[in-house]
Amino acid sequence: MSPRRTTTTAVLAGFLLSACTTVGAREQEGGRELLVFAAASLTEAFREIGAEFERQNKGVTVLLNFGPSDGLSTQILEGAPADVFASASDRWVDEIEANGPGVQSRTDFARNSLAVIVPADNPARISSITDLGARGVKLVLAAPEVPVGEYSRRALGKAGVLEPAEANVVSNEQDVKGVVQKVMLGEADAGIVYVTDETPGVAPAVALIDIPEHLNVAVTYPIAVVGDTDESDLASRFVDFVLSEGQAVLRRFGFLPPI
Amino acid sequence: MTPPRNRSDAPVAILVVAALGIAVLVVAPLAGLLARVPWSGIGRLAEPEARAALIVSLEVSSGAALLAVVVGFPIAWVLARTTFVGRSVLRALVLLPLVLPPVVGGVALLTAFGRRGIVGRFLASAGITLPFTTAGAVLAAAFVSTPLVILAIESGLRSTDSRLEDAAATMGASRRYVIRRITIPLLRPQLLAAAVLAWARALGEFGATITFAGNLRGRTQTLPLAVFETLQSDPDGAVVLSVVLMILSLGVLIALRDRFLSR
Repeated sequence: MSPRRTTTTAVLAGFLLSACTTVGAREQEGGRELLVFAAASLTEAFREIGAEFERQNKGVTVLLNFGPSDGLSTQILEGAPADVFASASDRWVDEIEANGPGVQSRTDFARNSLAVIVPADNPARISSITDLGARGVKLVLAAPEVPVGEYSRRALGKAGVLEPAEANVVSNEQDVKGVVQKVMLGEADAGIVYVTDETPGVAPAVALIDIPEHLNVAVTYPIAVVGDTDESDLASRFVDFVLSEGQAVLRRFGFLPPI
Repeated sequence: MTPPRNRSDAPVAILVVAALGIAVLVVAPLAGLLARVPWSGIGRLAEPEARAALIVSLEVSSGAALLAVVVGFPIAWVLARTTFVGRSVLRALVLLPLVLPPVVGGVALLTAFGRRGIVGRFLASAGITLPFTTAGAVLAAAFVSTPLVILAIESGLRSTDSRLEDAAATMGASRRYVIRRITIPLLRPQLLAAAVLAWARALGEFGATITFAGNLRGRTQTLPLAVFETLQSDPDGAVVLSVVLMILSLGVLIALRDRFLSR
């Protein structure tokens, strides 16, 4: 074989080998996989909960898919094989119940509230949610269909600054983490996120400003076992785990217990 | 005489793989999209969101194509017509955006031209902001499409007869005159092709745009961004928008077909 041909063969063999090992690794461990779709705001907490659940259930792999709840719901409606769906809003679980595979069970497992997020040096000198309507503030929100985007607009409405704030929006992000990112990088002057989004990774670069309770929005997170799962038992066990041991993790990341 | 055996065997395998490839990569996705089009809802294309995205897309792609050709031509000229140490390194560098994941390009643009970027902070104090503006979206799209322009023009320059330029030069023409009156006219088909390629690439840009320019209807929300946002909650709407993109892209290919698709 010429050197070039050897290289090509080696590259092809490499691809094949890596493809085989990926498949092999999944099938090896008894083949039990749990596909959990979770709202982007749950990213850090659910990574930990998922890892702990794997530790306690040998041979089980928890695959986590994070994104905006509306997008996750659409994926499930389009046939994504989710076993568990943890949403930041009832609306998108309702959607699955009404137009999709339905749910086997559904429980509220956490609560959250909103806060204004600004870069650590707060260039626009924001001190309250009403400042978000001030002229020239570069505001980033999640898109209106995304739960946190909807909640944000509700809070701005309560504060009486929805219209000027909407005019200040420079970007509608796909999920709450997109808002955090744009503020963390200092490109936006402010955004609205969940109080739980000040995670260790971003805390040094940002500051949160409280939104008083009468202007805030009570956010409840439902978790559901998706109707057409073929891992019904495992999915229920995961939900139970989130409701029991998972609670401590959620508390640590700032989530409130369900009512 | 019978032809050698293995010669008639090979094409079958090639044909099968080719047919499979076309079925999987072209026919199935297109058919899937067309099968899902809610024809009754096709009127939604007239909705403000779709119209705004179409207009932004056309603006951004055209701006990016123009910018890519304006900066791509001199770079290609330097690469094709001069020799200097490190030329191949320079070529690798300018072609980098071609292989870089666009979202990385977006992050790179932020670190350069963002409000706190190494260049952006000076721009900001001069009152110029690029993130979250249509100009920023143009920059992001030009970032990913300029390498295509450079490739197309450089190969064009290499295949044109440089003796014509030399002849003009020996007759006393200045280098600038040669470029303006000889090089560019000779290169017109490649320049046009490069612009169209850049335009098409810019039309499909997503990652760098959403990272650097954000997503705002009527300002930075191009068609691909609108497709992505709509898909989250309204798949039918996303399909309708996707069809618009498909028609635009197909239009480009058809317009180009005589130039370089038929060899």
